[in-house]
Amino acid sequence: MADQTLPIAGSLEVTPQRHSPALLPEWLHGWVVTVDHKRLGILYVVYSIFFLLVAGAEALAIRIQLAWPNNHFLSPELYNEMFTMHGTTMVFLVGMPILFGFANYLVPLMIGARDMAFPRLNAFSFWMTAFGGLLLYYSFIGGFGLYGMGAAPDVGWWAYAPLTAKAFSPGHATDYWALALIVSGFGTLGTAINVIATTLSMRCRGMSLLRMPLFVWLMLVVSGLTLVTITPLTAAQIMLTIDRYLGGHFFDTQAGGSAVVWMHFFWIFGHPEVYVLVMPVFGIASEIIPVFSRKAIFGYPAMVAASVAIAFVSLGVWAHHMFTVGMTSVGNAFFVLSTMLVGIPTGIKIFNWVATIWGGKIRFATPMLFCLAFLFQFLIAGLTGIMLSVAPWNWQLHNSYFVIAHFHYVLVGAIVFNIFAAIYYWYPKVTGRMLSETLGKWHFWLFLIGFHVTFDTMHFVGFMGMPRSIYTYEPDRGWNHLNFIISIGGMIQGIAVLLFAWNLVQSYFRGKKAGNDPWDAWTLEWSTPSPPPAYNFATDPVVHSRRPLWDLKHPEDPDWKYEA
Amino acid sequence: MSAIPVSPVAEPWRLPSRGRVAMLALIAGESAIFTIFVVAYVFYIGKSLTGPTPLEVLAIPWFNTICLLSSSVTILLAERQIERGKMRGFTMWWALTIALGTIFIGDTAVEWHKLIYIDGLTIRTNLFGTTFYSLVGLHATHVVVGLIGLSLILIFTLTGHVKEQHSERIQVFALYWHFVDAVWVVVFTVVYIVGR
Amino acid sequence: MAETAQQRESQGGVVAAHGETIHLPAPTAWPIVLAFGCTMAAAGLVTNLWVTAFGAALMLAGCVGWFRQVLPHEAHEELPVVAQAVTITTTRRLVRHIEIGAEHRAHLPVETYPITSGIKGGIAGGIAMIFPALAYGLIAQHSIWYPVNLLGGAGVGPSAHITTAEIATFHWSWLVVAIVIHSVTCLLVGLLYGAMLPMLPRRPVLLGGILAPLLWTGLLHSTMGIINPALDARIQWGWFVVSQVTFGVVAGLVVAREGKIRTSRGLPFFARMGIEAPGLMESHPDAGPPVDKEKH
Repeated sequence: MADQTLPIAGSLEVTPQRHSPALLPEWLHGWVVTVDHKRLGILYVVYSIFFLLVAGAEALAIRIQLAWPNNHFLSPELYNEMFTMHGTTMVFLVGMPILFGFANYLVPLMIGARDMAFPRLNAFSFWMTAFGGLLLYYSFIGGFGLYGMGAAPDVGWWAYAPLTAKAFSPGHATDYWALALIVSGFGTLGTAINVIATTLSMRCRGMSLLRMPLFVWLMLVVSGLTLVTITPLTAAQIMLTIDRYLGGHFFDTQAGGSAVVWMHFFWIFGHPEVYVLVMPVFGIASEIIPVFSRKAIFGYPAMVAASVAIAFVSLGVWAHHMFTVGMTSVGNAFFVLSTMLVGIPTGIKIFNWVATIWGGKIRFATPMLFCLAFLFQFLIAGLTGIMLSVAPWNWQLHNSYFVIAHFHYVLVGAIVFNIFAAIYYWYPKVTGRMLSETLGKWHFWLFLIGFHVTFDTMHFVGFMGMPRSIYTYEPDRGWNHLNFIISIGGMIQGIAVLLFAWNLVQSYFRGKKAGNDPWDAWTLEWSTPSPPPAYNFATDPVVHSRRPLWDLKHPEDPDWKYEA
Repeated sequence: MSAIPVSPVAEPWRLPSRGRVAMLALIAGESAIFTIFVVAYVFYIGKSLTGPTPLEVLAIPWFNTICLLSSSVTILLAERQIERGKMRGFTMWWALTIALGTIFIGDTAVEWHKLIYIDGLTIRTNLFGTTFYSLVGLHATHVVVGLIGLSLILIFTLTGHVKEQHSERIQVFALYWHFVDAVWVVVFTVVYIVGR
Repeated sequence: MAETAQQRESQGGVVAAHGETIHLPAPTAWPIVLAFGCTMAAAGLVTNLWVTAFGAALMLAGCVGWFRQVLPHEAHEELPVVAQAVTITTTRRLVRHIEIGAEHRAHLPVETYPITSGIKGGIAGGIAMIFPALAYGLIAQHSIWYPVNLLGGAGVGPSAHITTAEIATFHWSWLVVAIVIHSVTCLLVGLLYGAMLPMLPRRPVLLGGILAPLLWTGLLHSTMGIINPALDARIQWGWFVVSQVTFGVVAGLVVAREGKIRTSRGLPFFARMGIEAPGLMESHPDAGPPVDKEKH
């Protein structure tokens, strides 16, 4: 991956006072032993972008397979591995690492600290995550499954029991899934603890909790949520491992165990996990939208309160993934209502973003374009979410492509769009060079078109009854044209992402010099040189308001007059 | 400890200790793990298809429990001693804590030996075996980790490396031990009182 | 102080901390060794237990190495500070503030009419609207019982085969039904009117007297065909509107004559809940300039 090397070389300029990288081994050694939060953040992001391309390729393989009826582009076994690995990779090796990578890079800079609270734990956490991912992908070579050697996990990213039992999934493919995620789960846990300790204990003078940038707030909330979200998955995977290795009976229906218990445990993790992924991008939007609207964020305290509220509510909604299991009507009603409740704080956030844009002097730079698309798409994703939260409606559409369309609207339409926005926004800070705006606009429009062609259409095949995770379909179902259109959209997105990767590489060498503050922004990271030196701040900053750089830029009209 | 030099400013700018925050965060995460195991245990009470049942084989480990819970008191006394700089008292209470923890883990070993070799209950016998060994074993693992940490600190104390200024770190570590004891209250209630 | 340094920087000067060094944690390989050990220990379960043994050895080495890094003192390295000119400035000098005038936003009313005034208005309007209705009966159908029976008939049920002559004559039962319907409806509408008054702060007579009856008539006009087709066929909508407007205007006038009372909406939440929380209800003291601004 060519793009892998680019920010790496970039940060070498960060520390010119260290030894110049005469030799490749020496240069590599510097990255392996680093405990600098910025370098680790870059490692996280590069690692995730690599796996984004891998999992994107898996998605395209799925789409080619489904483009025509009775297609045999992939074998059925490989198809199962593809959708399992696509889901697992995107959630655990792309989504979480890239967002925690942003947190690693940005949180200390935003709160005026010199490093994370526990720099060595930080390095440990990254390497756990990285090695966990490599272990998972080693299964393609070394895994032994139902169909012999070279078998990756093929039980779906949700790994429902009893399919995962030794009798139905012989070999080690499923164990790779459990063990790799346990390993990377401990890495995530370490990072979450580190972010919490950093945010609470490392703030510079004057950076009270209610003056922290919203990105920092959201990462604090997300880390708290991660603590109680990743751990249930780890616990359930330990149980699965006990079942498979020691002959336990947790999910063994032959011995009185329950497969439904696995579903509960998985979704107790799985639903808050969605919020772990989506809330950091709320933070990204809350940083980018004000800067490009030239207004302070609207309703800062309401944004904070809504974030905390979402985190709490998200812990009580998991069984809306299980309406078809056959719960009691009281159980159904509870999860319908609690799920709908999420709409309230989320709605507050959307209104606040819109109110921030309202009356602003908007600049349609690439980061802002991605954020605007996010607002629109996240709203639709929320509306289909409310639709699916209604149990009778859910019974009709459970496990159909409508559900796939809904959650890809969240995961791609909201999360991936904002991740792109974040990269366009902070790339100048990390490398010292601007990303090309021309390529950025091409990337944005192609990706937007591809996204809508794919996922808008998916809603309709869902209505027409196409179930998820099927290998192929008969030509007489009326799904042929729509599936073909969806696959075309997938290809357009693929091209857009390649353009983006090319942009990352070529802008690193030929991009415009950024300067310390290319966007005329207001948070502390823009007060450092681009790229920031290893120690971040030559002197400890002191802040007096939520927009410290505004205060410096407008000494005649500082923010702290209005905030106290 | 912090990487940031403290700037000489008049106004105090107080932040919570990062060690304490991190330990509390770790405890929150661990609690979630234990919650899942406890829920699994409670859900599977009485669902085993074959024997032995808890009532047949489990004896309530009162002595065990008293030892572990009183170790929370002794470690608290040790914390007080080091805060005041009394290293002898600290060493004594700390060693007593380790002794109590060791009695607990030894007693658990005896119990498990009886269950396995006399009652024939292993992790694969039935659901009770699976959930019992997982939950109690998870807790025992935490006790063992705690004991290793406690012992290392004791060794460093005896070699004179632990001093009064480390009392903050000692207290952070003691939080973990308190957590392990508190979890035992839950495990004990669920396994030996409710589940029997 | 940082601020002053930055201010100096922004004037193109030299960085304050030139020539100093800064403590940072020293790079170390032990975390990656420990992480690799953990992964190998797990990987051994799917490959070979010797891998697990290797992983465990690495973990032990990693733990020991890590310990020696942080105990008794954390390893640090000194990094020299390199002077880098950072300018914190903006070309966007023009700042526009939101102009907050008296008319800037719709404030919740500080004073409003009591809800009982709505009920009084309802009663008065109910009495007043009888007259145009009876006038309609006399003028159009030469019988004051015609409108009464239309209303009463609506309460008794579908009267599909009823003749106009029958409607124009007097019926005890229909009169009673009509009076009950009329008074209940008037009271309820009056109550609704009173409850809606805070939403119509400016012109209660205009909004409540004309707009609301028109809306209400429109609603009935579109639904009467389903509720009572026979009545729908006979009703004169022009007259109906006249009597509705009479009701609304009279009710509005009565309400407007009643005195206003203060609403509690201006008060803080705690006061409205009846909680005595003096600290929470005090307004913020004026924010002074930040603490260490005047230094240097």
